Parts: sequence; structure tokens; C-alpha cells
Amino acid sequence: MALSTNDQALLQEMDLSDEEIELRKAFLELGPEDIATLQRMDSLARQYADPVIEDFYGHILSFKETADFFRDPATLRRVKELQKRYFLDLTSGEFGREYTANRVRLGVIHQRINLAIKWYLGMFSFYLRAVSSRLTEAHPDEPQRVLDTLMSLAKIIFFDIGIQVDTYIYQRERTIRQQQEAIRELSTPVLQVRERLLILPIIGIIDTFRARQLTENLLKAIRDNRAKVVVMDITGVAAVDSRVANHLLQTVAAAKLMGATVIITGLSAEVAQTLVTLGVDLSTLNTVGDLQGGIEEAERMLGYKVINTREAPPAP
Amino acid sequence: MAIPILKQGDMLIASIQAALGDRDLIELRDELVAKVGRYRSRGVVVDVTALDVLDSFAVRTLRGIAHVTQLRGATTVVVGIQPEVAFAMVQLGLQLEGIETALDLEEGMEMLSRRLKGDGPHG
Repeated sequence: MALSTNDQALLQEMDLSDEEIELRKAFLELGPEDIATLQRMDSLARQYADPVIEDFYGHILSFKETADFFRDPATLRRVKELQKRYFLDLTSGEFGREYTANRVRLGVIHQRINLAIKWYLGMFSFYLRAVSSRLTEAHPDEPQRVLDTLMSLAKIIFFDIGIQVDTYIYQRERTIRQQQEAIRELSTPVLQVRERLLILPIIGIIDTFRARQLTENLLKAIRDNRAKVVVMDITGVAAVDSRVANHLLQTVAAAKLMGATVIITGLSAEVAQTLVTLGVDLSTLNTVGDLQGGIEEAERMLGYKVINTREAPPAP
Repeated sequence: MAIPILKQGDMLIASIQAALGDRDLIELRDELVAKVGRYRSRGVVVDVTALDVLDSFAVRTLRGIAHVTQLRGATTVVVGIQPEVAFAMVQLGLQLEGIETALDLEEGMEMLSRRLKGDGPHG
């Protein structure tokens, strides 16, 4: 059976190439002998599949934490069926690309329903114990055979666990990456508050990429709005280090080249302390305590005067 | 390529229309310096709107123009630096320290005439 494009893409993203799968198997010393051993117990596994599944779910349902995943009887029936197939796959002897893709898909589902890895591992351990007792029963006079079978089973189970854990990690990392992108894409609006006066509120983390984007946006906005003064508010910038300070200096210098003055506002006490401690030379910066002060200063520079009409003396 | 230098009242306007070689820049500088004296100009506007790159030589020459015309009694304003150019200059560490800049020709001329009327310390 061919893999769906989705599975193929996922395997590729996770770097689970055929070579990688073989490498994993080689490292676990999962060889043809093990496969033969596992296949030999296949009929036994089929025989015990249903009672093992029943025990298995009895165990799962006896814990509130895991039982919560299977509240719905229809779901439980469906999952039991899937689980049975999952266990039977262990003794199918076919541990290639398709097998791996199946395991990855399952890992994705587990991750999506927030099934913690501890439950997954615990279930596997339970399964191994259930199978070992049944193997001993089936072959009471052949302890060596039971041991060999269990060893082979352990190898493929460790293979599964490896894939499962990697899938969990991969999914988590993908979430983190997506969030980072979201943060990066947080638009940095450049707003005009008065004729020739722009404000640029910066929120979040400034890294090199964002600093560049920010500067480009600002410079374009200066040209498009014919701005003379820009108030850049960094109240929302979590941390300012020497690199961020350097970015700010560059932005100010570039705006200056276009004939615009930049006023920086919102330097908190901590940020100011940090900058002084770092020895960053901010002498070329025009800083004002807060956004309000910055806008007032900008208005002064542009020749605006704001009057409160209620407080103004009545016209004669 | 000769760069036209226009006289407008007591200002000179040099509008650069195409990419310049080093020799053109030197020529521009010499001509501006000469004309500041001849027309007794008090302000110079160099318009670089059409340029999509300002290299270190161009920046040095612009600085030269500003300082020399200053010595001859005229203030120089560089106008029309494009966003990309400004960004690239900053990245390369090229500064126009001591030179006035303005958004465009209109802005630069307004700045100069205010300066000349106001009898500022540089006027």
C-alpha cells in the first residue's frame, strides 16, 4: 500500500528516510532473526489479541487520568479495534516505511489529544507484561524461547517508542516554530497621528530580522507620509541588549538621512540601567520618558500647540 | 555627464539624475564650489532622489561639498535619500555627520529658506 502524500511529507519533515529507519533498526540490533521470532508468535498473538486488549483497557479505565480519554463508548470501541491492529502489527514482521508512517500518525494523534508520554509508556509496559505471562503459559517448557521472543518484542517496542517520542518532540517544536513566526509577523504598524508626525509602537522581541523589517517599514512610511518626526515607543519591548540598542541607533540614523527626527520613548528604568551598564552610547538618541511626552515634544518640534478649549479663557 | 546646477534666488540646486562615476562627482563638487562663489549663494540643495545607491566615495564627496561650501558661506542640504539607500548606508556605517538632510527638494528648500531668513548660527 502506498503512503499518502501527507504521511510522506511528515516522514520527510521528520527526517525518517528509509536509511534512517534501517539505521534505527540496526542500532536496536533488530535483525531478520527477530523478525522471524516475532512472526512465529504472530498466531499466538492473534489468539490472545482480544483478551489482552480487554485487560489492557481494563487497566486504562481503572485510572481516571487515562480513562478520561475514552469517555465515549463508540470511541472506546473504535480505539480498541485500532489498538488491536497496533499490537498485531508488532508481530507482523513488516517494519518498513509504512509501519513507521503508521507509528508517526499515531504519535500525532496522541499528541493532539494530549496523551502524555508517561501514559503511553506505561501502557506499553502493561502490554509487555500481559504478553509475557501469556507466552509463559503457552510455552511452559521452553523458557529460552519465551525469553527470545520477549527480547525481540522489546526491540520493536523500543523502535516504536523512539518514533513516538520523536513525533512528540517534533510536534512540540513545530508549535514553537509556528509561535515564533507569529511573533515575528506581529505587524509593526507605523501610524500617523498628525500631519508629518508618525508613531511606531514596538511590542515584543526585536531580533535582527525584525529590526530590519521594522526599519524598512519606517523608512517607507517616512517617505510616503512625508514625516518629519517619528516617535518610537519601546515600552512593549521586553529586553534591550546591546544588539537591540544598535538596531535602534541604526534606525535613527537611517531616518535622519531621510530628514526625519526620531524620538524614542518608553525606556523603562531597568532598560535604561541595562544600557548604561552595557556602556551603549545612546548620546545620539533623542529620548523622552513616555509616549505622551514624546508626542508633546514632537508637536513642539513641528510647531503645533495643543490647547484645552475648556480651560482657555473665553474669547472677548 | 554634466549635472545641471540651477540657480534659484540665493540657492543652488543640483539634481542628480543618473548613477554617477567618481569623476562626475568630483566635477559636481568643483562646479558647486565655484558657483557658490560666483552667484554668492547661501544655500545648496543636492537632490539624490534618482540614486539607488550611495557608495563610500559618493558619501565622502557629499561631505566634502557640504564642508567646502560651508567655508564659502553656504549651507548644503542633501535631499531625497531613498529608504533603501538610507538603510544600506546605515548598514555600511556611512554617515553624513554634520550635513543637513531633508525628505525631498521642496522640504530642503523650505528648510534652507527658513534658515536663511532666521539668521541662524549657520545661516
